[in-house]
Amino acid sequence: MIDLALLLEGFGTVLSGYTAIALILGSFFGIIIGAIPGLTATMGIALLVPFTFGMTPITGIVMLLGIYTGAIYGGGIASILIKTPGTPAAMATVFDGYPMAQKGLAGKAIGLATISSGVGGTFTALCLAFFAPILASFALRFSAPEYFALAVFGLSVTITLSGRSPVKGFISGTLGLLVAMVGLDPMGGFPRFTFGFAELSGGLSFVPMLIGLFALSEGFHQVEVIVTAPKVTAVIRDILPTLRDLKACLPAYLRACPIGLIVGITPAIGADTSAFLSYAETKRASKHPELFGTGVPEGVAAAQCGENASTGGDVLPMITLGIPGDAATAVLMGALTIHNLQPGPMLFRSHPEVVHQIFAGMILANIAFVILGLLFARFFAQVINIDRKFLVPLIFVSCMVGSYAINNVFYDLVTCVVFGFIGYLMIRFEFPVAPMVLAQILGGMMESNFRRALAMSRGDPTIFVTRPITVTILVLAAFTTIVAVRRQRQALREGSMAL
Amino acid sequence: MPPPVSMRNVDIVAALVLLPVCLYVFYESGTWPVPPDMGNPAWIPRGVAVCLLAAAGLLLVRALQGRSLTLPARLAGADRARVVWVAVLTGAYVILLERLGFIATTAPYLFGFGLALGERRWVRLALFAVVVPVAIYALFDVTLHVPLPRGWLF
Repeated sequence: MIDLALLLEGFGTVLSGYTAIALILGSFFGIIIGAIPGLTATMGIALLVPFTFGMTPITGIVMLLGIYTGAIYGGGIASILIKTPGTPAAMATVFDGYPMAQKGLAGKAIGLATISSGVGGTFTALCLAFFAPILASFALRFSAPEYFALAVFGLSVTITLSGRSPVKGFISGTLGLLVAMVGLDPMGGFPRFTFGFAELSGGLSFVPMLIGLFALSEGFHQVEVIVTAPKVTAVIRDILPTLRDLKACLPAYLRACPIGLIVGITPAIGADTSAFLSYAETKRASKHPELFGTGVPEGVAAAQCGENASTGGDVLPMITLGIPGDAATAVLMGALTIHNLQPGPMLFRSHPEVVHQIFAGMILANIAFVILGLLFARFFAQVINIDRKFLVPLIFVSCMVGSYAINNVFYDLVTCVVFGFIGYLMIRFEFPVAPMVLAQILGGMMESNFRRALAMSRGDPTIFVTRPITVTILVLAAFTTIVAVRRQRQALREGSMAL
Repeated sequence: MPPPVSMRNVDIVAALVLLPVCLYVFYESGTWPVPPDMGNPAWIPRGVAVCLLAAAGLLLVRALQGRSLTLPARLAGADRARVVWVAVLTGAYVILLERLGFIATTAPYLFGFGLALGERRWVRLALFAVVVPVAIYALFDVTLHVPLPRGWLF
């Protein structure tokens, strides 16, 4: 159960000194990253992870949470002002946000979007604080076979990250599994796939690889397709919504919050699905569904609330089981590991105070971006006008600085650039990047626990089918895979996908 | 707008590139020592390689059957030559970074990058190229004590 005393202590820690400053800075930069089309929350977190090394673990993690939640919210600003979502998750906000701006209600739309995002995010952050200890205490019963099964389950849902081609997604995932095997064998200690390079004995540097795959790759993509985004010309005024406006949006919040939580908990389904589902459900239940798409405040409220409501759910499996909910939480998980905090049920036992500080950080991050978003709405609107010819080179330099900052070795720069180019080619030719990263994280977990389980059973493989929790999770993995494949075959028959 | 382009050739090349990768995994995993009672360390890599081989084979077959995805219609201004130029520039930047130092390498890199993207406001570009590395150096190396490469110059 949640420890209220520890949670209150956590609030105290997060609100004090440098941690509070880090939270505000993280939220501020997160909103900027989200507001600029082409930059994503995952990219922002990957870019800024190295800069948290000099901070205490909780200060660094809180800053990254600020970036995460702020960026998810920030995408709605561009959706409203220039009809271009700042992040993929903000697409649903365009439907009613942009028409509101066209009617001269840009300020009101941004204000509603800000508060709605805060409502959704805070709700699921509170759910995270409440449910995570319960799930973690259950997971303490897990041993190597159960962790192996969990990794298989996590890998099975990467098929749903396949985008338009399940085969390409599968290829991306299996390549990630192979990349995870580079380095010394975890049990035998002999080199694997190092090609004689001593630098590869420790495996590929994870953070430079993440920076390359998520940030630099997008930078290369921007170089190829450098598009001048429309300039923001809307006048932003009357930002703060009235109580009457918020009351009218209440039914939207009551739908979007649980939708966001459930979608967020489901691995590999993220904020964009949550936003669309919340919007669709609110429209369906409305007395005037025909007005949706013409500039209805409830449309903006539903989309933004659903978007940020997924964030708490995404963090839940990551922090309790060590299974990232999406690409952004995969990067967050990497950041936690770098700060010597291994996500999973043991974290609740060994560092309960840190866990509750993370809960407090998540709750306060959602409040922080609301305050910043309302105070600096006009500034964030102008950020969208930043010239890409200066922004893109800045991204490249930031990637280099971030990669070098970790170990101060040339090899990390090479890793970043090589994977940046690989990531660019993957984006270009529709091989999804996220399954590769998720598989890399889960692949190590899967392999080491597989071998540990066999060591436990002295080589007897029936250990995987005689333990009830293991069998249940493996059956769930098979079921998830079958459902995903059937769903994609249906889409194939309808002509919307290739194989 | 240009018509969508099939990724048939790309899929064929990707499948053919993956084939030797899988074969190499089989080869190298066969050279690993097998400890007692802990399972053969080659099982999982070989299992993954088999899955990858099957997926690559499926990709190849579908490509040959003409069922590859199409690339989205290119946005106006898409320029692959620009990507190659930036990749070369970035490669040179990485190689020279530790040799010449952060500021000395980053300033010309940013200038060249801006030129590659079509920026022709020389004063603005020059200011950007000088101010940004100095600012990053001041923030990270001096203030946050995150060391940046120091080479022969600065």
